[in-house]
Amino acid sequence: MAARFIRVPVITAQRAFVARGVSFILALAVTALVLAATGFDPLALGAQILRKSFGSAFGLEDLGLLFAPLMLTGLAVAVTLRIGLWNIGAEGQFYIGAFVTTAIGLHVTGMPLAPMLVLLFVAGALGGMAWILIPALARAYGRVDEIITTLLLNFVALLLVYYVSTGPWRDRVTGVTAASGRVEYDVPDLHGTLHWGFVIALIAPILVSLLMRYTRWGYEVRISGANPDAAHYAGMPVKRHMVSVMLLSGAIAGIAGMLEIAGSVHRLQGGISNNFGYLGIMVAVLARGRPIAVIPAALLIAVLLNAGIILQTQGLKTSAVLAVTGLIMLFTAVGDQIAHYRLARSAAVLAPPVPAPLAARPATEGG
Amino acid sequence: MEVITGILATAVLAGGVLALAALGEVLSERVGVFNLGVEGLMALGGVTGIIVGTLIPNAFLGLLAALVVGLAFGAVFALATVVFRANQVLCGLALTMLGTGLAATIGRSYSGMPAKAVFERVVVPYLSDLPIVGRAFFSQNILVYPIYILLPAAIYFILFRTRHGLNVRAVGENPAAADAAGVPVTLIRFCYVTIGAALGAGAGAYLTLAFVPSWSEGVVAGRGWIAVALVIFAGYRPFSAVLGALLFGVITAFGFVGQARNWPVTPAFLSMLPYLGTLAFMIVPVIVWGRQRRAAPAALGVPYFRDER
Repeated sequence: MAARFIRVPVITAQRAFVARGVSFILALAVTALVLAATGFDPLALGAQILRKSFGSAFGLEDLGLLFAPLMLTGLAVAVTLRIGLWNIGAEGQFYIGAFVTTAIGLHVTGMPLAPMLVLLFVAGALGGMAWILIPALARAYGRVDEIITTLLLNFVALLLVYYVSTGPWRDRVTGVTAASGRVEYDVPDLHGTLHWGFVIALIAPILVSLLMRYTRWGYEVRISGANPDAAHYAGMPVKRHMVSVMLLSGAIAGIAGMLEIAGSVHRLQGGISNNFGYLGIMVAVLARGRPIAVIPAALLIAVLLNAGIILQTQGLKTSAVLAVTGLIMLFTAVGDQIAHYRLARSAAVLAPPVPAPLAARPATEGG
Repeated sequence: MEVITGILATAVLAGGVLALAALGEVLSERVGVFNLGVEGLMALGGVTGIIVGTLIPNAFLGLLAALVVGLAFGAVFALATVVFRANQVLCGLALTMLGTGLAATIGRSYSGMPAKAVFERVVVPYLSDLPIVGRAFFSQNILVYPIYILLPAAIYFILFRTRHGLNVRAVGENPAAADAAGVPVTLIRFCYVTIGAALGAGAGAYLTLAFVPSWSEGVVAGRGWIAVALVIFAGYRPFSAVLGALLFGVITAFGFVGQARNWPVTPAFLSMLPYLGTLAFMIVPVIVWGRQRRAAPAALGVPYFRDER
């Protein structure tokens, strides 16, 4: 009759959700303890973060400017999770989207705004797709680990962006250091500094969700992710779907980069990504790869990132946000597993399964 | 001639970082645990090395402290992946983010300062006068010899020449069979993953105390990921991993020598070489042979659940 933990192979969505929530709160609690131990007042900091994020229109606009790219990079990672792959290169694809946008924006000047924005949008998407093409093909047709290949290209993209923004494209007009000249094309504003890119970022997860749910392609992608062998034997082109999903992912991350340049920053520079690509992994994981769930998950991480930026005035670095995100991810991963265990008290549960005819007999004869 | 000597000398120095990290990853992957947190461990080791090396100006104590920090974070990672059997990719990425972010945060006030204590160059008499290879192999810091020879030899001997090593490899290939044969799967995985993580952090200290030698945010610059890739095309074997690291040292050295000698190539593009080279080494064998030449340990990345055997 001794109580012991037994593992349940499949758990309910509700149970998983609770596990995620508890993990998130525990990770924040550990962060608060570390902050308290190093001489900060975590409660005061928390109140300050909430006030500055949600207390004013400006605060909300700033939050929105972080929320939008995180929805896109989170969605970029989430779609690959649907087919069982990891795109760790959203950071690089983001940079390339921004790079392509700047390239066109700096060199094609004086054109009407609307067609240019469409062109930049498409170019940003294509840039992101080009950047993930080789890892996608290598993964689908050569089983080359896509985690490492997509990640390595992040460093190449970063070096490229550093080079052009401090070299050939550097600003020669206003003396801004380590940034490119200004891209004149501007995505129209929605409210204050918040531009229409926010709406695009909000529609994208809904659109992808509909694609996944109601199209043949989406159905086959989900099956290929859940059971590649079954999908293959059912005649689905699993490898081609892997490539198309990764290209879609690259395009979404590239669009995020395009919107960052044309929407708010307008200058290509080294730190432009704010780690959006890496934080997008966290968003996708919190969303469990579900496109719609990317929206609330991105909001959560946006508040966290915004907190880091606010706390810079308190002598904390934004890199602390990356550390806290890592901590949350670790707790989430462990929490997911712990959710699979439940306490079993009755001996009956632990008894080995008995074939039905044998199990039935003692009950009738011995009774 | 002098160029070749220069490239070789830099290659041995630069390759040491990758060699040490890759050896750690070999230990982890041989027992079936995919540690993607090397990048973060190196950042933590690097910053620990520089902080301790500055407070107590002694490079060996800096390295020792980095190894201890690596053991601590490795134990946390092993607890999550081996004991709780959490998703290894997720935990590895988490460790990379945690380590990179934490190191950048605590290392801020040490950023850009040259290391107070470094691993000095040790000139081996006579041998260092050999043409071409003399300066490359016999006029290096003291850590080069354990990293390139002693450590891989010890790991090779333990893994492939002892009964214990057979058990260790069995844990990575077929944990259920190993378990049935009475091998303590969880204990072996935990220990090897933790020790492997310590070597990763040690590689970070080598980076900041012997190679660069200073700390700055982003100093690790993807070397942890290159080390992970290195292990794959080294076929999970210690000496191949070390040779692969040396090869990448050569690629890195081309970048440095090119800059120093004003080759007509933009430095940024030379700096891309190690990443593009790694990509090529991951993809080209697959194009040529249709797959990586040596298969991964069969249970790599798969948590072991005794109750689901």
